[in-house]
Amino acid sequence: MEVFGDLLNGFATALRPEYLLFAAIGVTLGTLVGVLPGIGPALTVALLLPLTYNDFLDATGAFIMFAGIYYGGMYGGSTTSILLNTPGEAASVVTTIEGFKMAKKGRGGAALATAAIGSFVAGTMSTIAITFVAPAVAQLARVFQPADYFALMVLAFVSVTALVGRSLLRGLLSLSIGLFIGLIGIDLISGQARMTFGVTELRDGLDIVVVAVGLFAVGEALYVASRLRHDDEEIVPVRGKIWMTAEEWARSWKAWIRGALIGFPMGALPAGGADIPTFISYNVEKRLSKHPEDFGHGAIEGVAGPEAANNAAFSGVLVPLLTLGLPTSATAAILLVAFQIYNLRPGPQLFTTSGDLVWALIASLYIGNVMLLALNLPLIRVWIKILSIPRAVLYTGILVFATLGVYSIANSLVDVLIMYVIGVVGFFMRRYDFPVGPVVLGVILGPLMEAQFRRAVQISQGDLSIFVSRPLTLAIFLIAALMLAGPYIPALIARLRGERPSRGRVVVGEGKED
Amino acid sequence: MSVDRDPGTPPGSPLGLRIAGFALLGLAAVATYGTFQVSRAAGYSVVGPAVIPLVVSVMLSGLGLVFVVRTTAVPDRDLFEHARAEEAATHWPSVLLLGALLVAYAFALGPLGYIPATALFLPTGARLLGSRHLVRDVVLGLGLALVIYFAFTAVLGLRLPAGVLDPFL
Repeated sequence: MEVFGDLLNGFATALRPEYLLFAAIGVTLGTLVGVLPGIGPALTVALLLPLTYNDFLDATGAFIMFAGIYYGGMYGGSTTSILLNTPGEAASVVTTIEGFKMAKKGRGGAALATAAIGSFVAGTMSTIAITFVAPAVAQLARVFQPADYFALMVLAFVSVTALVGRSLLRGLLSLSIGLFIGLIGIDLISGQARMTFGVTELRDGLDIVVVAVGLFAVGEALYVASRLRHDDEEIVPVRGKIWMTAEEWARSWKAWIRGALIGFPMGALPAGGADIPTFISYNVEKRLSKHPEDFGHGAIEGVAGPEAANNAAFSGVLVPLLTLGLPTSATAAILLVAFQIYNLRPGPQLFTTSGDLVWALIASLYIGNVMLLALNLPLIRVWIKILSIPRAVLYTGILVFATLGVYSIANSLVDVLIMYVIGVVGFFMRRYDFPVGPVVLGVILGPLMEAQFRRAVQISQGDLSIFVSRPLTLAIFLIAALMLAGPYIPALIARLRGERPSRGRVVVGEGKED
Repeated sequence: MSVDRDPGTPPGSPLGLRIAGFALLGLAAVATYGTFQVSRAAGYSVVGPAVIPLVVSVMLSGLGLVFVVRTTAVPDRDLFEHARAEEAATHWPSVLLLGALLVAYAFALGPLGYIPATALFLPTGARLLGSRHLVRDVVLGLGLALVIYFAFTAVLGLRLPAGVLDPFL
C-alpha cells in the first residue's frame, strides 16, 4: 500500500525534534486559546501569520503548529463550556447544554474526562479516515474544471451563510462585506486598481491579518468592554477526580464513535465547519439514549457525542482544504492563506508536488492527538486556573497582541488604524448579531472564486451556459440551492399540512467562530 | 398576549438598527461608485475586471435594502429584541474610552517606542475595563512589553520601534 509508505515517511519527518517542538507549541497554544473565552484558533493563526513572512518558520513547521492550534482549540473549548457555561468556540456551544449541568451536579470531572477522551477517540478515528480519504479525493478532484471549482466555492459560501447563524439575510450581508473587502486592490488578471479610490495604501489590498485580527480581537474586546458591567460569570469548581465511573464509560463510548461518524463526513463535505455536526450529534444522542429523562439535567452522552463530533469534523474540514483548496470555516480559510504565503497551492496536485509536507502534517495530527490527551487529562487543572485570569487584564492583553501582530507586518501605523476601524465594524456586527466568519471567508475565497469564474468563461469563450451544461457543475449548484432552501422546508411542510409552523427556519448553529 | 403595548418597550425599531441599515446602504453606494471607476478599456478578456465588482455591488444594495425593510416596514421581532437587550446592557463610556486609548496607543508606538507605549497601555486599558489592581497591572504591562520586545527583536529578528529608549537599547 502506497499510503502506508507515505504515512511512514510523514512520521519520520514529524517526529524530528524541531517539528515535535512546533507540534507541542501548537497544541499548547491551541488549548490555551480554546480555554480562554472570546478568542479562538482563527484569531491565533491569523496573529501568527506574520511569523511566516520571514524565514523563521519553514512551511512544514508552520503547518504542524497551525494544525496543533486548530486541534487544541477544539479540545480546550470544552473546558470553558463545562465549567463556565460560556462556549470557548462555536463548536462547543452544544457542550454547554449538558456539560454545565453536570458540573453543577458535581460531575464536572467526568464531563471534562469524557470530552477529552472522546476528542482523542474521534480525533484518531478521523485522522485514520483522512489518511485514506484525502488521497482518494485528490485523485477524484483531478477531473474538476474551473466551472466546478466556481460551483464548489458557491456551495461553500451557501453552507456557511445558510446553515449557520440565526439569520440568512445577515449571513449573506456579512459575506457580501467580505467579498467587497476582497475586491480592494489590484486585479491580478487585468492589472486594474479596484475599490482603492485613489488611496495608495489600498493598492495591495487589505492584508487578511488586518481584517481577521480587527474583526476577531478588537471587535470582541470592544464588545466585552461594552458589557463588562452587565455580565457576571461563575466558574463551577471541580470536585473530585477527573475520571469517569464504569456507568459513565458505558454511556460514553458509543456516543464518541457515533459523534466521530457524524463529524468526519459532515466536516469533509463543504458544509460549514465543525459546529453543525455537534448539533446533529446532540440530537442523535438524545433520541437514542436509554436515559432521555437525563437530557437537560446533565446527560453525559450530550457531552461525549458533540465533543467527539467537533474533533472529527476538524479533520474532515482538512479534506476539502488540502485536496480542493476549499476552506469551509474561517480558520481553514486562514490556513489557506498560510499555504499561499509559502507559494503552495492546495488542490489535487498538492499530494504530488508537496507530498512530504502533507504527509508530515497528517502524521503530526496523530502525534498532536496524543499530546492533547496528555495536556487535557492529567494537566486539566492548570487550564482551569487559566479561567480565573481577570477579564480586564485578559482583554487588554489580547489588544496588545492584536496591535503587535498587525504592526509587525510592516511597522505601519496605517495598518493598525485600519485594523481598529474593522474592529469597530466587528463590534457592531456582534451587537446586531451578524456572523463574523463569513466576512473572513468572503475576503479569502472571493478573489479565488472570481479567478475560477473568469477562467471558466475564458475556456467557454464567453458562453455562460458552461455553468449548467456540465453535469458535475450543475449537480453542485443544485446541492447549494437545496442547502439554501433546506432550513425552510420543515416550516413549509407544516404549512402545507395546514399547521402553524413553530418557527420559520431551522437553525443548526450559532455561527460564532473566532 | 395583550393588545396593549408594554409601556416599557419603546415603539418602532431601535435606532442602532436603522443606522446599521443606512451604513450598509452607504457601503453599497461606495461599492457601486467603485465599480464604475474600474476602467473597461484595459486589455482584452472575456470577463472584464468590473463584472464581479458589479455583482458584489448588486448583492450589497439588494441585501442592504431588504435589511432596511426588515428594520422598518416588516420588522424582524427577534432582532429588535436582541438589539434592545444589547442597548440596555451597553456601557458606552467604556467602549469610547477604550477606542480612544487604542488610537492613542497606535500613535504612541513610533515616537514613544514599543516598550513605554505598551507598559502604559496595559494598566490603563485594564483600569478602563474595571481592574482595580494598579500595581499588579503596571508590573504586568512592563513585563509583557519587555518580553515581547526582546523576543521579537532578538529571537525572531523583527523590528519594533525603540523610541525614547533608543539610546539605551
